[in-house]
Amino acid sequence: MKLATVWLTDFRNYEQLEINLDEGFTAVLGPNGAGKSNLLESLALLATLKSFRRAPTDSLVRKGADRAIVRATGIRDDREVLIELELAKGRTRAQVNRQPLKRTRDLLGALRVTVFGPDDLALVKEGPSVRREYIDDLIVALDPPADAVLSDLDRILKQRNALLRQMSGSGDEASLLTLDIWDDKLAAAGEHLTIRRENLLVDLMPLATESYRVLSNTEVDVVAFYNRSWDTEHMAEAVADSRANDQRRGTTSVGPHRDDIVVTVDGFDSRTECSQGEQRTLALALRLAGHRLLAERLGESPLLLLDDVLSELDPDRARALLNSLPPGQTVITSAQGLPPDTVPDQVLEHRGDRLEVVKMNDLD
Amino acid sequence: MSAYAKPVEVLIDELGRLPGIGPKSAQRIAFHLLKADRVDAQRLADAVVELKEKVAFCETCFNVAEGDECTICGDPRREQHVLCVVEEPKDIAALEKTGAFNGRYHVLLGAINPLEGIGPEQIKMRELALRVAQDDITEVIICTNPNLEGETTAAFIANKILAPFEVKVTRLASGLPVGGDLEYADELTLGRALEGRQAL
Repeated sequence: MKLATVWLTDFRNYEQLEINLDEGFTAVLGPNGAGKSNLLESLALLATLKSFRRAPTDSLVRKGADRAIVRATGIRDDREVLIELELAKGRTRAQVNRQPLKRTRDLLGALRVTVFGPDDLALVKEGPSVRREYIDDLIVALDPPADAVLSDLDRILKQRNALLRQMSGSGDEASLLTLDIWDDKLAAAGEHLTIRRENLLVDLMPLATESYRVLSNTEVDVVAFYNRSWDTEHMAEAVADSRANDQRRGTTSVGPHRDDIVVTVDGFDSRTECSQGEQRTLALALRLAGHRLLAERLGESPLLLLDDVLSELDPDRARALLNSLPPGQTVITSAQGLPPDTVPDQVLEHRGDRLEVVKMNDLD
Repeated sequence: MSAYAKPVEVLIDELGRLPGIGPKSAQRIAFHLLKADRVDAQRLADAVVELKEKVAFCETCFNVAEGDECTICGDPRREQHVLCVVEEPKDIAALEKTGAFNGRYHVLLGAINPLEGIGPEQIKMRELALRVAQDDITEVIICTNPNLEGETTAAFIANKILAPFEVKVTRLASGLPVGGDLEYADELTLGRALEGRQAL
């Protein structure tokens, strides 16, 4: 789906805003604090109902107002779609074409989005959980029912850990028998998710390499290693082997929640052996790879939102990014303008407290 | 500290312990009772007392019963050798409405849920094994809820409790609501229904 018009009411710093978005590449310019990222945040919210800055719903509502409204029309398969969100303290309501949604999962698919922001450096620099979340989010975006696999696994781990703690080291016969059952569930769900993650990485890495090469104008290879927390043929054996240890520690030591994804650039470990600039490029390449995989598999390019990405890249890489944007609708924010030879289809600029259309595509 | 007279405060507190009732609802019910006729309030109080005095769990199947035995266990026309295992007495009411089952029940009074401190010892698992051993049971139909805890309880019964016995163990099928449209089914249920398809 491509967004056409977006209305904001009492969202962050915007009391009222109406903008028409171009189908192609839109640049949002303006000084720091003008509200560029807020605008991007509202667009991402239309797809995911969650702030990509991990802000609680309360902070999305303009100070002094009691609710925020985000509305947008878009075009999908030549038909108009209306998405409406009402955000208030402790309550978020969403409607698509005036039909209330029962579950947030139902919103997935109406509009799809890829977001890259300054926090995404964590994808490379931080611990394994960020990379696991990245891959799991892609799995769910490609196959929404997989959401149930993830939430089941999460609950199995909580239940198994609770049982391990109650057993406090030893445990009676009934607890041990119950543990057998949780172990079976853990091994089945865990192995399933592990294989899905590994398969996805195989499809993803060629795209990440390609994106990295274009951005950096080099011929490096980006390779990912999925490090399992178990090395037996099936996870069930590893779960059985680690039982004594798990019982002693009161926690589950094998499973997808303990796996890591190590990404290397030309053989160098990206987390410890790459420069800051290389890490930023890699983080961006990983996001773009996910974006392209979604576009390929779903036959439709998600909305691409790039928040303050240019300040993070050297001029050559910034230019390479803007000249190689994937097809589809893209919105990018920048505080310092665009590289000289880039030609956006539309430019929106914050002047004073207004967001003005500086340039519109001639076709509109 | 307390904004209300002590008896009101105590009642709100007690009501708030009931399932599905939060502090706001508890307060609303308490003030409703305060305004209500004495007779109405008395009737409610009597009903609660009578419930605890006269009704208990059936000694055989742990369904609710007036006396030692529930109406189902006391009914000689019901099939003696088929047992249906459920989590709660209210599940019996649901199954009875189908009219499709003529055996007896066994209520576990819960499901395995370590997060809530419930293991096999806390529910009527031992009693189930005893019944199967003594009562010449030929089939056990496991009707625990189709969620993670219910499935775990079902696996425990099938793989641990009933493993030593020569008894047919079946699990309630997952599938589509009758009279509904396929397009409105959620993906999970429809996926399960597809897995559990049957030859015609």
